[in-house]
Amino acid sequence: MIDLTKTNTRLWQEITDNCGDIRKCFNCNTCVAGCPAAEGNPPLLIRNLVRKVLFGLEDELLDDETPWLCVTCSACEEMCPMGVHPFEICLEIRRWQSKNDETYIPAATAEIFETGHTQAVGQVQEKRKAVGLEAVPPTIIKFPELLKKFQEMLRNTDIVRENDYMFRS
Amino acid sequence: MKYGLFLGCNVPAVRPDVERAIRLTMPRLGADLVDLEGSACCPAFGSFPSMDETASLAISAWNFSIAEETGVDLITECGSCYSSLRIARSKLLESEEKRERVNKLLEPTGKKFRGTVKVRHLIDVLFNDIGPEKIRESIKYPLENINAIVQYPCHTLFPSEIVGFDSPSGRPHMFRELVEALGASVQTYSRELQCCGGAGGFVKGSFADASEFAFKKLRAVKKETDAEFIVASCITCLQHLDRMQDELNKKNNDNAYSLPVFDYNQILAVCMGFQPKEVASISTISRDEFIRRITKVIVS
Repeated sequence: MIDLTKTNTRLWQEITDNCGDIRKCFNCNTCVAGCPAAEGNPPLLIRNLVRKVLFGLEDELLDDETPWLCVTCSACEEMCPMGVHPFEICLEIRRWQSKNDETYIPAATAEIFETGHTQAVGQVQEKRKAVGLEAVPPTIIKFPELLKKFQEMLRNTDIVRENDYMFRS
Repeated sequence: MKYGLFLGCNVPAVRPDVERAIRLTMPRLGADLVDLEGSACCPAFGSFPSMDETASLAISAWNFSIAEETGVDLITECGSCYSSLRIARSKLLESEEKRERVNKLLEPTGKKFRGTVKVRHLIDVLFNDIGPEKIRESIKYPLENINAIVQYPCHTLFPSEIVGFDSPSGRPHMFRELVEALGASVQTYSRELQCCGGAGGFVKGSFADASEFAFKKLRAVKKETDAEFIVASCITCLQHLDRMQDELNKKNNDNAYSLPVFDYNQILAVCMGFQPKEVASISTISRDEFIRRITKVIVS
């Protein structure tokens, strides 16, 4: 039994950006029916995540790792009959989790800060030359002065300011 | 026709043969490509978009500003880059507040988001700007009497009002027609529109179930079609359908799943007569015999 007197009934007001009006969600399951990650273990069930938000179950929501299973295909966005944005809810919950528990912040974020990329784009020179390409592609990895500006820009964002130990240049 | 080639991260690092194929085939069709010098990660949904929306939009705006300075629309192969950039652009155009916040972050770098350029997917440009007829005329080795299946990139379908270009998004046909322009017959099957499942955190977070999700698709291909190869137009679909056949073979302890998987521009490049060792050399499931059959050239 959920004791609603002990939950954060204002939680849904924190998880709103781009989501549409999540109070309109009536648990119809359309977002789950076409979702690849609903076949995961545990499954990603967006309608259940919406319940956790609406009931204000902060602890359960913070411990729930299923939003991170999302494949980002956005089929749910297309199908929701209530104009709610399930994919954006997924991202918004991830943002809320990252803000409340920094261990949620994935390594890819720091990699982008350090190199501008999620892959070692500058370190596959032989592989690129073998297919007739320039050893280093003309992206930010090739222009150190631009990477520096890019990092300075990101230093002014909340995520980098609040977790500066993770972001090194 | 001129486009700014947005490379992202996976294409230039993991499958540079796809980059090579795009760079060779598009100009041959009259679509000149310019480099977006200094472009960064789109950013990937599992990174900044999952942490801090303003930071995420600033990175997208950084990428847009480079294309805006050059005066070209961005063109990309990667479905995730396409979707991430399209969604970011739509948010920035919708909200003056977000635009101002992002431009304030960009200002010290000398860049600015104006919203003057669009993001296009390769399938969109190949079908709507170039057209199947011109592609048909450009090829040296047609894929006659060869059956294909196509993997529609989910990120180019939904949400249709932000990313869509095919009509309707739920019943796409443009990609199929592009493959047919190469001479191949495209077969349909029950799980044709099922996404590959390779993007986002599914594979990392729930490997066995994510694999089983892909296996269902591969089994349906085998049971319901006579496909001899798979055509993708997204770096994730390309890598995932290639890798998952290998995983399924390991699981079954046999070699029953061995369909070569090509990015569209790769198979186009092979059909145009470009060197397979440059345009289609990196894969798990071997494509050499298939290429030999088309070109009658020995691939070493």
